This record gives sequence, structure tokens and C-alpha cells, in this order.
Amino acid sequence: MTVASRADTFTGFRMPSRRRFDAATVVVHIAVAGLAMLCLFPLLLVLASSFTDEIALARNGYSIIPSKFSVEAYVAIFNKPAVILRAYAVTTGITLVGTVLGVSMIALLAYPLSRRDFILRTPISFMVFFTMLFNGGLVPYYILMTQYLNVQNTILALLLPHLVGAYYVLILRTYFSGLPDELFEAARVDGAGEWTIFWQIAVPLARPALATIALFIALNYWNDWTTALYFIRSPDLYPLQYLLYIIQSNAQAMALQEQVGQIGTQKLPTETARMAMAVLATGPASVLFLFFQKYLVRGVTLGAFK
Amino acid sequence: MARLGRRSLLSTATQVGVGVLAGVQSLGTGSIAQASSRTPASSPVLTYIYAGSSDQKALPDVEKALSALAMERISATVKLVTFDWGTFDQKISLANAAGEKHDLYYTAPWINNYYTNIRQEYLLKLEKLLPDLAPILWGSMTPETWDAARVGGSIYGAINQQIFVKPFGPYIRADVAKDAGVEDAFRALRSYDDIGPIMAEVKKYIDSKKGGFQYVTVAPNINATETFGYDVVDSGLVVKSTDTAGRVGLYSDTLEYSRAALMIRQWNELGYTPSEPKTSSEQQDAWKAGLSTMMMSGVVKPGGDAEIKARWGHDVISVAIAEPLLTTAGSTATMTGVNSLSPNPEAAVKFLELLNSDVKFYNTLCKGIEGVHWEWDDKASLLIRPAAGKASYADTGYNPNTDWQFGNVFNSYYTARSQVGAWPATADLNRNARPSPLLGFTFDGKGVDTERAACAAVAKEFGEPLTFGIVDPMTQIPALNKALQEAGIDRVRAEMQKQIDVWMSAKKR
Repeated sequence: MTVASRADTFTGFRMPSRRRFDAATVVVHIAVAGLAMLCLFPLLLVLASSFTDEIALARNGYSIIPSKFSVEAYVAIFNKPAVILRAYAVTTGITLVGTVLGVSMIALLAYPLSRRDFILRTPISFMVFFTMLFNGGLVPYYILMTQYLNVQNTILALLLPHLVGAYYVLILRTYFSGLPDELFEAARVDGAGEWTIFWQIAVPLARPALATIALFIALNYWNDWTTALYFIRSPDLYPLQYLLYIIQSNAQAMALQEQVGQIGTQKLPTETARMAMAVLATGPASVLFLFFQKYLVRGVTLGAFK
Repeated sequence: MARLGRRSLLSTATQVGVGVLAGVQSLGTGSIAQASSRTPASSPVLTYIYAGSSDQKALPDVEKALSALAMERISATVKLVTFDWGTFDQKISLANAAGEKHDLYYTAPWINNYYTNIRQEYLLKLEKLLPDLAPILWGSMTPETWDAARVGGSIYGAINQQIFVKPFGPYIRADVAKDAGVEDAFRALRSYDDIGPIMAEVKKYIDSKKGGFQYVTVAPNINATETFGYDVVDSGLVVKSTDTAGRVGLYSDTLEYSRAALMIRQWNELGYTPSEPKTSSEQQDAWKAGLSTMMMSGVVKPGGDAEIKARWGHDVISVAIAEPLLTTAGSTATMTGVNSLSPNPEAAVKFLELLNSDVKFYNTLCKGIEGVHWEWDDKASLLIRPAAGKASYADTGYNPNTDWQFGNVFNSYYTARSQVGAWPATADLNRNARPSPLLGFTFDGKGVDTERAACAAVAKEFGEPLTFGIVDPMTQIPALNKALQEAGIDRVRAEMQKQIDVWMSAKKR
């Protein structure tokens, strides 16, 4: 591959010089727009429901335009904000720390693996790759975390599992090895050490790839509830998504209690309050996505060249 | 969650893991050894895991009070662990599969499955320990009731004394019954055959109200098997309570099922019910919002109307239609088991005795500490109220509200005036119920798991529209039964009949 074609990739896709409106384009655009609407529809429905009056919702069902506008659900949530604010703090904390730590560790692992002069390149690459093919399964994972690492019910239990993903290491390694060797040689001739080369040359050039991976990791942390399900018992450490999961699944469990003749009288948030919580939980993630979107478009083609 | 492996398999898997993680191993084994040496044999710490809502702020105080009591009575202390209801299944099965050393946990056929736990060897056999170490608990139930918990001759869980029977019947909002002038007729109901005219009156009434109410009933299902005297064993297969020969039939093939489905269909056509199925949480919202006036089938039990009011905020009238039937499933609906890996099995069984016989201990777990979370309202009738300065039990920081999960509910203090006297009445109901010919029989479906899963999927697909009356039973019931046939219901039935025949002949001998 020539340096010129790589330069294209770095600067993003070239825009078509002239806009063309042939039939095929129109059909494709309509199809894609329709698909996008289908994806957007449930989100809009949740948003609309969260702003609907409780009784109106029970009476009229869901609709894309609130049949009777109300902010009661949000008032109810922010009346006793301690629980949701704490969950927000936990989720934001692990997302920030986890993303920064994770990207650093992945970069520090991927860069040496991309260098042809690194002796252990092949065995270590294989070890990383191997974890993508096989894993121990849920129970050994649980035993490792709770009986050997002893991190259950701590913030570490939420942080560790998503820190380094083998797949991201391989993507980044591929990206790094796509950078021209001549650059590194030139730097070395100019007297740069390994750290300088890594920080001053490799990392700045890999920024789109790093941003993409940061986005993936951040979304992983933000959306993760299973880790909390397995390892967290203290309500103080519940992340946002897990809090949502508990509220939804408690409602189902109450239906089960009825089947055995017990009338569950535990208090449940109303339907609209649940929708409002879903909005509060997904909102920031969507904004984050919009912000990183340009990198994502570039990033998903990362594995494609080379 | 996928079914988790057996412990034997697991330990192998762990060893492999340990080999890879040699470095970590030295770290971990040390702490495990520490954990077991931390519990001296003289005063064990009993870890008790149950389902609830995890935001009980005062749980540490209650734990301390219970530990003090337990220290006095059985020289042990207590560690309480609450898993949220919706996560209980997953969390407890993971803890069990990983071989954690907790002592006691909640188990039932409907959550944290009792039979799966037995199969995986997660539960300790109790039939030898209970008579010696928990004599009051052992003597509080008849041998037939204990038989309901037996699997392969052994008892793996202590049954909580509570309502064992499910006398289903309709509920109606008290204000609606009065205003529509159907109160007397409703109270006189003895069968669903006579409910049509009442519903017609209610329909007339809500139409005249214009827009206040939406449905006569949001929950029209009356197809609970007990309502018509059937004991459901598994996969919609039933045995009639009067059939001492124990012949297995398909519930959706019975006359009663068809008649009920036709009745519901008629209600739907008359506009009494929603036009599409409602989930249970939607039904609840409709009740709370005051859109529905009747619930066609709920458990009618002593003190039940008060529970409904606490939940939906409406006074209701209820009438039991089903004859109380004592079944295996009803008797084992709530149990506490002892972990097969418990380091202190004897102390754990003594703890079960405390829960089921010591009124103070039990109520401390159920209601909290006297003077802090509750106080006496009327000590003579065992009625309590929230502690001074607290508007409700929820405000006191401790309100698990699941007495039936912890032990003998007949020892529980009453929390509302209308509840007073409910426990003796419930005990009578249990005592006078007709025992199902299959009481004590449990079906082992291991060999026909695939067919059972397929049948469950079919039952869900066809059953829900039928129970809401939105499809024609004349065509859909035959379609349901045909689909069940294709899913292999006959193989399940044959297996079940075989097991019942063996069980019955063993019982006669």
C-alpha cells in the first residue's frame, strides 16, 4: 500500500465532488431513512411516555405525542434524587476512569505488538487472540472474581472486566502497524527514545483509532449491568443501568408472587417513572455518541485497510 | 440465565483456571483459608440469603438485634443478605454454582427453583435433622404436608406455614358494587355462571359515568386450574381432584376450560374487557388509575382485601368461588433450604426452628425492632402500627413486607385492623381443604425437558389471546391442542402418568 492512499484514510472519506440525484440514490436514501426511523421510534416512544400523565397513559396507551403532557415522573424521581444521583456517580466514575485506563493499557499493549522488532510479538499476540476463541465460562469467571481476586462488592469488580478487550488490542495493533516504518526510523535517527516515539508520533497519528476504541469502551461501561448483577450486592454501588434493570425485573417478579397467592405490596415506580429513568439513563450516552460519531465512522473501517 | 454446571464439573474447571492463574492462586487460597478459620465452631455466623428490596436502610440494626437474640437462644449470630427480587434467581444460582458457603436461602418451585437445586445437589437433606433440632417446626405441619416437599424420599426445605390453598374468585371495587347496586348479588355468587348479569349492570353503570372508567375488567382470566377443581402438575397437564385413580388429562382439553374461554370471549364481545392483552404491570396501572372495576380471578384469602387495598388504593369485595384444594405446589410455594455446603448445618436447622417458633425472633426479621420500627397498637389482638413519628412502615427504614418468605406467618403480628384474625382463619382454610389425590407427588421432568419447553412456548402463544377473549375459542382451542400435540405433550403425559402410577402403588403399599 502506498503512503498516498493511507493519507486518504487519515483525512476521512473524500466527499463526492458533485451531488447526484439518480433514482438508485433516492431509493437507497428512502430505505435508509425508513430504517433509521424504525430505530428511532422506540426511543421517541419512551421519551413521549415519560412526559405523559400517568392516568392518561394507562387509559390511552403509548403514543408518540403525549396524550396529556406531564412532568410528574421527573418530579417524582428528582424528589428523592439520592438513589439515582448515586447511580449516576457510580456509572460516570467507572466510565471515565475505565475509559482512560482502558485506552492507555490497550495502546501500551498494542503498540509493542505492532513493532516487527519486538521478540515476543508472536507469542503475546497469540495469547491475546486466544482469549477471543476460548473463555472459562460464567461460573469460573465468578469464582475468579469472588474467591481469588476478592473484588466482589467493590468498585473494582465493575472496573476490571471491561478494561482490556482483546478485540480492541488487535484493531489497534493493526492500525499501528499500518503506520509507515520510515517515520519511526527518522525519529530514531533524530535521537528520539521509545517513549518519545510512542507519545509524540504513534499516539497522535492513531488518534482516530484511539477515539473509536475509547467510545466503544465508554459505551461498554455505560451500558453494563451484568457485571453488577454478578458481583455487586450493596445498593451504594449500583450503576445506573443495573438500577433500571432491577426496577423492571422486580415488576416481573411481583407478577410471579401473585401466582402463589401472595399479593406483592412492595412499592413500584409507576410506568411513566420507569420511562423517565430510561430517558435519564440513555440520554448522556446518546450525546456522547453524537460527539464521537465522526470518529466512529472512520473507526469502523479501521480493520479494513492493510 | 443458562443452567449452571454441577459442582463436580466445576471443581475441574476451577482447577484448570487455577493452573493458568498460578500467580493469583497463592493470593486467593490464603483468603479462603482465612474465611473458614474466622468462624469458630462455638458461635457460628449464619448467612441467610433471601429476596427483597435492597434499600432497607435499617437492615444492619435488625441484623444486630437478630444476632443478639440468636446468640441467646442458639449461640450463633446472623448475617442477612438481600438480593433484589428481580435478580434473586441469577444471583443465588451463581453463588450456589460457585460453591459459596452461605448457610440458608429461600427456595420454591417458582423462584430459585427447588427441584433444580435438588438436582444440582445444592440443598441439604433435612428429614433426619428436623425432628431432633427443630421439633416445633416439624410438629407444626402434618406428615402429608411434609410429603409435598419430599423428592426421592428426602426433604430438602423447611416449608413456611402460610396459605397453602388458592381459593380463587372475583374481586369488585366496593364503591362500584354499591353504586351499581350489585353488592348483594356479588356477595351471593357461588359460580361464574351467575356473574354475567352483574357485569352487565356494572357495564351500564360505567357507561353512565362517561369516561371515568374504561373497562368492566382489565383482567378477565378465570382459567386458573384450581377454580375448577384441577391440580395442575406440569405443562398444563392436570388431575381432577375427585379422581383417586390419578388419571392425567390435558387442561385445555377439558369441558371447564372451553366453557371458561367461551365466557371470556363473550365478555370481550360485549365490550367488558380490553381489546388486546395487557401485561400484569399494565393491569396494575389500570387498577391504580381507577380504569377497571373488577378482577375476575384472584386469590381470595383472609386479610386479602386489605392487601389489595394497600396495593391499589381501593376498597374491594371478594368472593371465593374455587373449592380450597391442597396441592403439592401450594404447600411448597415458599421454603427455606439449607445449603449443602453450609459449614454449620446443625446451627442452620436450629435457626429454622427459631424462625418458625420464636415469635419475637420471627417478627424482628419481618417487621423490625419494637419501638424503633413499630409499636403496639393493640397488644391483646397482636396489632402493631408504625413507630411513633413515622407515617408508614416504608418510612421506618425497614419494611421487607414478605413475612411468608421467612417462616410461619401465623406467628406474624397484624399490621392493619382489618387483618386481625386472618391467621386462624387461614389455618382453618388449610386444614379443611380437600387434599389433592396427588398431594406429595412431584413430577420429575428431566427426561422430557425438550417437550416441556416446546409446550410452554405453545401455551404462551395460544393461551394469552384465549384468556383475554380476543380470539374465537371454537377454532383456537382445537388449534392450541393440535400445536401441543405437535410439541410432544403426549410424551410428557405418558411420562407423568408412569410416575404417578408408580407413586400411587407405592403409597398404597
